[in-house]
Amino acid sequence: MYGVQLDHLAKGLDVTQARARAIAAGWRDRRLAESARLGPGAPWIWLTRTGLASCGLAYSPAPPALARLAHIRAVTAVRLALEPAAGYAAAGAYWRGERRLRARAGGRVGLREHFPDGEVHWPSGAAVAWAGECWAIEAELTRKTVSRTMAIMRELLTRTGDYGCPAAGARVPGRPARHARVLYICAPAALSTVARARDALGSAAARIEIRSLPPDAMLPSPAGPRGRSVRPSASPRKPGPNVAGTAVGRDASDQDASERAAP
Amino acid sequence: MISRWVSLLAVRAAARLAVRLIKIAVAAALIVAAAPVSVCAAISVWAAWLAGWPPARLYRAALWCAPMVAVWLAAIAITRDWASAIQAPYQAWRAMWRDGAAGSYPAAAAAIAPAAIPAGLAVGGLAWSYRIRSMHTGSGGLSPAAAVAFDLRQWRHQARTARARIAAPGSVPLNSRNGDLIAGAAIRAVSHPARQIAAIPYQRMRSHQVVIGTTGTGKTTLLLRLWAGFVASALQRHSAGTGGLPLLVVLDCKGGGDARRIADRARRVLRAAGAAATAIWPDEASLSLWTLPPSQLITTLVDLIEHGTGGAAYYADIMEAVVGLAVDAPPGPPQATADFLARLDPGWLSMAYSASEHDDAHALIRAAGRQIGDVALRFRTLFRRLGTGLDGPGGFGDADAWYCILEGTGQASVAESQARALVDLLASYATAGPARSGQAGRGREILLAVDEFSAVSRRLPIWQLYERARSLGLAVQVSAQSWQGLAADEDERYRIAAAADGGIWLLRTPHPEPVAALAGSRQVMDTTRRLLGVPVWSHQGTSRMRLAPVVDPALIRALDVGQAAYIYRGGATYVQVKRLVAAPAALGTPAVGLAALVDGRAVAAAVADGAMAGPRAPAANGAASTTGTPAAPVPPGLTALLDEAFGKQAPP
Repeated sequence: MYGVQLDHLAKGLDVTQARARAIAAGWRDRRLAESARLGPGAPWIWLTRTGLASCGLAYSPAPPALARLAHIRAVTAVRLALEPAAGYAAAGAYWRGERRLRARAGGRVGLREHFPDGEVHWPSGAAVAWAGECWAIEAELTRKTVSRTMAIMRELLTRTGDYGCPAAGARVPGRPARHARVLYICAPAALSTVARARDALGSAAARIEIRSLPPDAMLPSPAGPRGRSVRPSASPRKPGPNVAGTAVGRDASDQDASERAAP
Repeated sequence: MISRWVSLLAVRAAARLAVRLIKIAVAAALIVAAAPVSVCAAISVWAAWLAGWPPARLYRAALWCAPMVAVWLAAIAITRDWASAIQAPYQAWRAMWRDGAAGSYPAAAAAIAPAAIPAGLAVGGLAWSYRIRSMHTGSGGLSPAAAVAFDLRQWRHQARTARARIAAPGSVPLNSRNGDLIAGAAIRAVSHPARQIAAIPYQRMRSHQVVIGTTGTGKTTLLLRLWAGFVASALQRHSAGTGGLPLLVVLDCKGGGDARRIADRARRVLRAAGAAATAIWPDEASLSLWTLPPSQLITTLVDLIEHGTGGAAYYADIMEAVVGLAVDAPPGPPQATADFLARLDPGWLSMAYSASEHDDAHALIRAAGRQIGDVALRFRTLFRRLGTGLDGPGGFGDADAWYCILEGTGQASVAESQARALVDLLASYATAGPARSGQAGRGREILLAVDEFSAVSRRLPIWQLYERARSLGLAVQVSAQSWQGLAADEDERYRIAAAADGGIWLLRTPHPEPVAALAGSRQVMDTTRRLLGVPVWSHQGTSRMRLAPVVDPALIRALDVGQAAYIYRGGATYVQVKRLVAAPAALGTPAVGLAALVDGRAVAAAVADGAMAGPRAPAANGAASTTGTPAAPVPPGLTALLDEAFGKQAPP
């Protein structure tokens, strides 16, 4: 996960938004996380290098890319919709995000490959019919061409190796497919294209499931509920000495939250 | 009268001088008035000169600025009105001078930038185009040698830019998004589209190609890149459902320790490109000659033995008859060398054909009885020299790439026999695909790369290889260190080069003229000017069209290491080849049977069958958690889970 919006964080932690804000402020004070209003809606929170290290992750710390905010939110919404499902928790399923997959692939250059937005691993011993499977998750917000969508579907369905494995192992004929199933969670605009691409795949279409994105997956419109225009900030700014006691880049509510969270 | 004439001349000269001064003054005034455009144009021309860019690059840069201009004008139209948008460039120009006069230079630059940058780039492109054209036609420059110096300098700049481009990590991937092979960075293009990256469509790799370059010029680097690109692109197409699996077969006809080193490099590079298994023949893998269809096997076996013409043809016929009896014997064709040699015995043959319906065969055995021992002796000697490389097990279907090392330098006659056998095996595989390999070759996209094939082409002329390959749908890539190394005689060389539909790669070589001539010529403008005195040129002269070679042999002779000219359809692109670097191969997977020596797929099949079942639970390091077969269409409970998470399935 590259970053999360406050409302999703609250949902993920199963607390109120105010409590989530306080928790995030605590993280920020301990320099584990940064937050800023990067786009419409609630503030975004992402981990700093220290925060990533404390989680045992060696990713490059960076705020979520502005161009991908909508997509990151959609993927988070998919994950938050899937994880509370009774079958998911009971089976002990495990989500592996795109950031983790890309980190595994490292700086391998030469071949271009498509990374899914996430993977769900179902342990072998789980009491579900799909135990031992690995699913690829694709969140589709915008409409691609049918041919491009088909190419991505084929790539996901024919892959045999893990991400980051030698290219020779990525597709080995005769070896079982890595992704037993591909789950497409689509916005209304992309739904028909994805369905057409699936239908054109032939027998492999049986391994593709298409669902609609959850209602909270979309970014709110730029004019927020209070009618206030939102100014995106390209990068998090650190507290500056010229602004006494106020962290530049945090909005007033963030500041209040951090003050409330302070012991 | 004379004084009037002199005064008239003086007046005329003064008028000319005045006109010239007025022109210069007007031009200077224009340059100053449009100072931002002039500065931007000057910078862009300087950058293009320094990097050796073609003018088209500046035009493209100007076009890329169009969205910025559109947004700027739209913003003005929205915030004010359309009339303001139309006047915006003029108003920006005025604002620039006003802010500049007030000493606010950043504000002045910001005010004029949206209009000045695209205009400056476009003007710079025009100026750079004019400069290049005038130098190419010989009508520009201060001295007679200016055009030559300009061209050499531009070549240095272009080569430097290309080297910088391939040095940038990730700037030159192995293949493009649409499956084209990327050989490296383009230095210069002649009668080809000017691009920064030298990419060739995949289909060119499915046609015949020729590569010529002396030792140490980067030929192996180029070949490895082409092979890896072929494998990667073909796998990409295969996964997209638009092509068959690739098969690369390399015949290295020099042999020796150098061939082993290249084979190791090839294996690592191809593995990184996606080839699951690369077999090195005969060191690590073997092929079975005995998988050939019986009729083909007879021909191949007979051709492996050297036999003369004239009176020797008699013995050749006897040999063919004996080999035919041994192969077509009622117990079926031989399965191994020992089996075949055991059959070259009058007693065995008589027993095999003992049934009454084989009277003709009996007569043949009786007639050739005295020679059967000699035939056996010759084959015993041949197979001892050939080694076990052709005695199986294995077939071309067992690996994605085969690197075959033929000792053409050390043991020419053995290498000739091996080459003949390998080509026959490949042809047989391409047409039918041996059943025992478990994978038919008919649907595979095969590239046969032969290096210095002339060393072993006495038994199998290379043009014959070309013709056979064409009929089988194989692409052949012939590489040699020189024009003479392509084939034994001039006719054959021209035939090979002329049939290279996929293009010719020409690296530094001392004798490039024949290939350069094949590239053809193009029309260029040649201008002569009158020299008034060193270094003053007059403005009078003549221009004429002349034909110039597309590929300059002198330039080919001067190519640096890693530089190559790609000649295709009467044009040439000079390329700085990007070297492929692959990590050392990981430790091999535990062997499963003999085939595992060459075939990672056998291991995979064994895993799938449960012979080497691994853990199915998700591993901590992120290994795939599934080793089973693809899922059943919709397992029970899955729909309920998805419904719970995302609601009912939405209709498209």
